[in-house]
Amino acid sequence: MQSSKRKLWITFGIVVVVYLIAMVFPFFWVFVTSFKTSGEIFGTGAFRVIPKEPTLQNYITVLFEKNILNSIKNSLIVATTTTIYIIVVATFSAYAISRFHFKGKNILLGLILAVSMFPQMVVIGPVYNLFENLKWLNSYAVVLPYSTITLPMAVWILVTHFNQIPGALEESAKMDGATTFQTLYKIIFPLAAPGVFTTAIITFISAWNEFLLTITLNPNAEYHTVPVGISFLRTQFEILWGQVSAATVIVTIPTLIIVLIFQRQIVSGLTSGGVKE
Amino acid sequence: MRKMGVKEWLLIVPTLLLIAIFSLWPVVQSFTYTFFDYRLNNQQKAGLYLSERFNASLFNETQMYLTMFLDEDLPNIKAAGDQDRVASLNKDLSSVAQKYKNEKGVIKINKQEKTSIEQLHKNAKELVTSLNQKYKLIHKDDLPHVVNDLQKCVIPSNFIGLQGYKQALSDTRVGIALGNTLVFTIISVFLELVLGLGLALVLNKAMFGQGMIRTTSLIPWAIPTAVAALMWSYLFNGSSGIIAHLFEMVGLVDKSQDLLLSGSGAMASTILADVWKTTPYMALLLLAGLQNISKDLYEAASIDGATKIQSFFKVTLPLLKPSILVALLFRTLDAFRVFDLIYVLTGGGPGGETETMSIYAYKVMFGQTNFGYGSIIVMLMFVCVAIIAIIFVKFLGANLMERS
Repeated sequence: MQSSKRKLWITFGIVVVVYLIAMVFPFFWVFVTSFKTSGEIFGTGAFRVIPKEPTLQNYITVLFEKNILNSIKNSLIVATTTTIYIIVVATFSAYAISRFHFKGKNILLGLILAVSMFPQMVVIGPVYNLFENLKWLNSYAVVLPYSTITLPMAVWILVTHFNQIPGALEESAKMDGATTFQTLYKIIFPLAAPGVFTTAIITFISAWNEFLLTITLNPNAEYHTVPVGISFLRTQFEILWGQVSAATVIVTIPTLIIVLIFQRQIVSGLTSGGVKE
Repeated sequence: MRKMGVKEWLLIVPTLLLIAIFSLWPVVQSFTYTFFDYRLNNQQKAGLYLSERFNASLFNETQMYLTMFLDEDLPNIKAAGDQDRVASLNKDLSSVAQKYKNEKGVIKINKQEKTSIEQLHKNAKELVTSLNQKYKLIHKDDLPHVVNDLQKCVIPSNFIGLQGYKQALSDTRVGIALGNTLVFTIISVFLELVLGLGLALVLNKAMFGQGMIRTTSLIPWAIPTAVAALMWSYLFNGSSGIIAHLFEMVGLVDKSQDLLLSGSGAMASTILADVWKTTPYMALLLLAGLQNISKDLYEAASIDGATKIQSFFKVTLPLLKPSILVALLFRTLDAFRVFDLIYVLTGGGPGGETETMSIYAYKVMFGQTNFGYGSIIVMLMFVCVAIIAIIFVKFLGANLMERS
C-alpha cells in the first residue's frame, strides 16, 4: 500500500513538473532570445541558452523605433474604455434579469448566449461599412463593436453573481421606500462588488486581446493595439526574431502583472461563466 | 421575484441597443450581402443595387471630357454634315447634363431617363466611330474610351439571387477550408479535453503547488492569441526555431524546415500552439467541476468495493458531464472560428493547407474586397456554428439555461 501510494505521488510529481516546463519554456526561450544579436540568432548560436554577447539593442529598437509603446497606450485606452462601459451596461441588465419577472426573459438570455457563439467574422463586413460611412475608421470608436465579444460574457457572469445575493435585503430596502436605482446603488452594488470586479478583469483581458476588429477597422498603425501592432513585426520577407522576442517580453509584462495580482478573481470569473455551480 | 415596471425596463435598454446594433443588425446585413455581387473596389458593384442606378458624378465628368475633346477636334472635321452632327450631339449632351448638374454620386433614375442616356451613348459611339474612320483626330484613342464611360454611368443591378451560393458549393477552396477547419477543431479540442481532464484530476489530488500551477496556467490563457502565435512561429521556424530543431532531433520531421513548410507539419504546429494556449484553461474549468463533487460519493463507492478506475467511470464522469459539455461547447465554437492564431502563425499557408473558413472569408472580404462572396463563406460558417450549438444544447438539455 505504502509503495503504491509513493508511486502515485511520483507520477503526479512528474506530470506537474512536465506541465510546468511545457507552459513556461516558450516564454523562457523568447526571453533568452531577446538579448541575443541577430548574428547569434541566425548563426550557430541559435540554440545557446546563455547569449554570448548579451545586448539590449532589440529592446531599444522596439521601444524607440517600432513604437511598441504607442500600441500599449492604445490597448490601455481601448481596454479600459470597453471595461467601464460594458460593466455599467451589463450590471444594469444582469440586475434586471436576476431580480425581475418579465416577458421574453428566456428569449433574452437565449439571445445573449447565441450572440456569444457568433463567429466574429459575421459582423465585421457590415460594421466596416457602417464605420466607413460614419468616418469612424481609424479611431477609438472601435470599442463599440467590442461589445459583441465582451457584453454577453459580462452579463452571463454577473447574472450568476447576482443570483447568489439573497433577495430579502432588497425587500426590506423597498419597504423602507428605496427606489429600484437606490436599491441597486446602495444595497446590491456593495454586495456584488467582488463579482463586478471579477467581470471587469475578464472583460479587460478579452478587450486587450481582441485582434480581428482592430486590424480591419483601424488599419492605420497609429491606432494599432498590442496584438495587431506586434503581428506587423512579422513582415513577409524578413523576420527579426530578436525584435519580435523583445516586443513579446514587453507586452507580456502587463498581462503577467494582472494575472499575478488578480488570479483568484480570474479563476472565479472563468468558472462561474463556464461551469454549472 | 417582482414584476418589471417601465423604469426597470430602462435597465435592459442599453444592452438591447448594443446587441441590436453591433450583433444582430450586422448578421441580417451580411445575409443580405450574400444575394449581391457586391465588391467595394468596383464602381459598378460597390453597393446593393436591386434596380438599375445612375452614376451622376461619372456622367458629369465624362460629359465634360467628351465635349472638350470634340471641340478640340472640330477643326479636323472637314465636312459640314459631320460638323452639324457633332454640334447636335454636344447639344444633346449638355441638355442631359443640365438635368443632373446638381446630382452627386449614385442616384436612382426612371426607365425613360435610362433610355435617353443609352440612346445618347449609342449616338456618340456611332458618331465617334465614323469620325475616326474619316479623319485623323487628335483624340482618336481617347474618344472611344470616354464614350465607353458614358455606358458605364448606367449601373446594372448586381442582384444575383442564389448564384453566389451555387458558386460557393462548387468552389473547391471552400471545401478545403471547411475540411481544414474541421481537422483543426476536432483534433485540438479532443487533445485539450483529454489533457485538460487528466491535468484537472492530478491537480484535484495534488496537495502542494496548486497556487503556482494556477498562476502558470493562467498566463498562456491571458496573453493575446496573436502574441502566442508569434512566439510559436519563432519556436517552429526552420532556421532558428528550437522546437523545430528538437523535432528534427527526435525524428518527428526529416528537416526542421519541413515543419512549417509542409501541409501536415504546419497544421500540426497550429494545433500544438492552440493546445498549449487552451489546455490550462480547460483544466481550470474542469477542476472547478471536480471540486464540486462531494467526497462522500467516492467513500461510498470504495466501501461498495469499487476500484479507482470504476469510481472514475461511474462517479466522476457522470457528475462531471455538465461541466465537460459546457467547456466542450465553448471550446469547439472557439476552435471553429479560429482566426488570429492561424493568421499570424501560418497565414493559411503553405499553399492554403492551413486555410480555415475564417481566414478564407477574411482574404475574400478584405484582400479582394469582395464582400458579397465573403459573406457567403461567413454564412456557411454561421450555419455550421448553429449546427454545432444545436447538437450540444440537445445533449446538455436544460443544464445550460438552469444556470441562470
